[in-house]
Amino acid sequence: MNHVLNITANNTPAVVERLLQVTRYRGYELAGLQLAPRADSRSLNITLTVSGDKPIHLLTSQLHKLYDIQQLELVSAELAVLSA
Amino acid sequence: MKGAELVLQVLQQHGVETIFGYPGGAIMPIYDALYQSTVKHYLCRHEQGGAFSAIGFARASGKVGVCMATSGPGATNLITSLADAMLDSVPVVAITGQVPQAVMGSDAFQEIDVLGLSLAVTKHSFMVRSVEELEATLNQAFAIAKSGRPGPVLVDIPKDVQLAEIDYQPLASHTQKAVSVPTSLANAAKARALIAAAKKPMAYIGGGVHMAGAMPQLQQFLADNPMPSVTTLKAMGSVAKDNTHYMGMLGMHGTQAANLAVQQCDLLICLGARFDDRVTGNLQKFAPHAKVIHVDIDPAEINKVRFADAALLGDMKQILPAISASTNCDEWLAHCATLKQQHGWRYDHPGERIYAPLMLKQLSERMPDNSVVCCDVGQHQMWVAQHMRFSSPRNHLSSGGLGTMGFGLPAAIGAKLARPQDTVITVSGDGSFMMNVQELATIKRFRLPVKIVIVDNQRLGMVKQWQQLFFNERYSETDLSDNPDFVALAAAFAIPGHCITRKDEVEGALEAMFTWPGPYLLHVCIDDKDNVWPLVPPGAANEDMMTEAKA
Ligand SMILES: Cc1ncc(C[n+]2csc(CCOP(=O)(O)OP(=O)(O)O)c2C)c(N)n1
Ligand SMILES: [Mg+2]
Repeated sequence: MNHVLNITANNTPAVVERLLQVTRYRGYELAGLQLAPRADSRSLNITLTVSGDKPIHLLTSQLHKLYDIQQLELVSAELAVLSA
Repeated sequence: MKGAELVLQVLQQHGVETIFGYPGGAIMPIYDALYQSTVKHYLCRHEQGGAFSAIGFARASGKVGVCMATSGPGATNLITSLADAMLDSVPVVAITGQVPQAVMGSDAFQEIDVLGLSLAVTKHSFMVRSVEELEATLNQAFAIAKSGRPGPVLVDIPKDVQLAEIDYQPLASHTQKAVSVPTSLANAAKARALIAAAKKPMAYIGGGVHMAGAMPQLQQFLADNPMPSVTTLKAMGSVAKDNTHYMGMLGMHGTQAANLAVQQCDLLICLGARFDDRVTGNLQKFAPHAKVIHVDIDPAEINKVRFADAALLGDMKQILPAISASTNCDEWLAHCATLKQQHGWRYDHPGERIYAPLMLKQLSERMPDNSVVCCDVGQHQMWVAQHMRFSSPRNHLSSGGLGTMGFGLPAAIGAKLARPQDTVITVSGDGSFMMNVQELATIKRFRLPVKIVIVDNQRLGMVKQWQQLFFNERYSETDLSDNPDFVALAAAFAIPGHCITRKDEVEGALEAMFTWPGPYLLHVCIDDKDNVWPLVPPGAANEDMMTEAKA
């Protein structure tokens, strides 16, 4: 099942690697990734789409712990299907 | 001043007086600044050892441990220890030198992508890009290392940043605002109701309790709500020695009483623990009748492996009093007391050879109060957990989550420097000891009176035990019968030692070791056939423990 995460993150050099590393390690597959710096270029807007059979909270709770993640919002799975 | 000097200034502002490390090209400016600094640097002989010493320092003292290494091989040598700190939630700040930014990304000499390597083994990591951000980054590193669930933080500092000039006025004292832990007591009433309704409650205590500074609150909780308790490897020593309802360690090599009681309980109150697979055995069959209250500071641990009927997040010190309800479970307490009686340890061992469990019990009884015991990994580690008693988890340093051989000796160096007034003992195995044996040179240089007990079975015993039980006695690469002469080895580092092989030598040898004022190595030869019991075989439920008789 696909899940879409809307993320606001500090625009630091390794932040995307950190997101992807946690996603892979916790057992989810990357199904889509979009990112763009915000106007002040200090933050990034990231849309991360992942698929996996495990409950998604197992991933979001780990991503939340990343120091560079400011906000993380789970968009419903249906939406994910629509946008896929 | 230079960035390198600023690093030491900031360390001092954080109260750091002791650091462990090893120099090299890319960190030479910091070592140059160290030359006139009052920060005391302890030269390890392998960066893995230095970082383990920082971990030992942190775990024995509750402060942040600090270690340093150069770029490339120096930094890669830190990785295992950072992983160890990550899995055991130890606050460590590691500082690495990096090649100058002008050549970064060109496969320069001793250049390796340390930031990239750090991702899986640190709580967070930084690469400092200008001297202007150096101070703030170091402050953040300390804040992150010790806040919430503690962990290791790496700060990679390119050489040009170390050499850059900056106008820096050190503040008289760094005003560290104590960050209060956001705590939610929303589920406290639910937890109290569960506790009040439970007929067979059980406290399952992990390392999170003492790391939260909640030892007094734990004793109070257990006094106000009399119930049996068990601890994880990391929490040994959390329950006061006079608490009669304490049942020992649970899990793969836990006590039978602890495992049986946990399997039977109807409420499991998990305090700062994380249902590790070495604790639960077969997860589906773990504590099958129990509802769960889970208290932790890390939201990601809630419902990670076991559903919590009530979860409370935040500061253990506030939560424990808030979930206090009155238990009424005399029958259950009596039942658990019987289990404990039925499954007590036996030390009657035939023959004159040394029986490690008994030897460790003697060591435990003989060591001065508040001694710190640093373990390595293997059978001897489990025997220490089973047969020694500790008055605080800070007195029992054992590599839990990562199970890293080579931990014991360097951790003991850190512990001794953190608590010079306390006796520090390493209990190591003949395999593990050789993994960081070079740290004997550190002990020699600083004349650190660390007591070293090597439990020598001439085997990689724990692996051998599994080969015997689960791999048809095919002893692949676990024979160490050509071990070096450990007493002679110690002598090469000016450390006196003694070798014993018989039970009746133990008392005298321990006496001699403790009486000797300096470092000392006691080489204890045991039978290679001795195994650790009980054992929950892989895939089995915790009530299906193998014992010596059954094996
Ligand atoms: C760095 C590392 N490598 C390998 C292992 C796997 N391992 C676990 S216990 C053990 C044997 C340890 O031997 P020894 O230190 O002599 O302890 P004993 O079990 O004999 O008491 C091994 C190889 C490990 N835990 N750590
Ligand atoms: Mg051995």
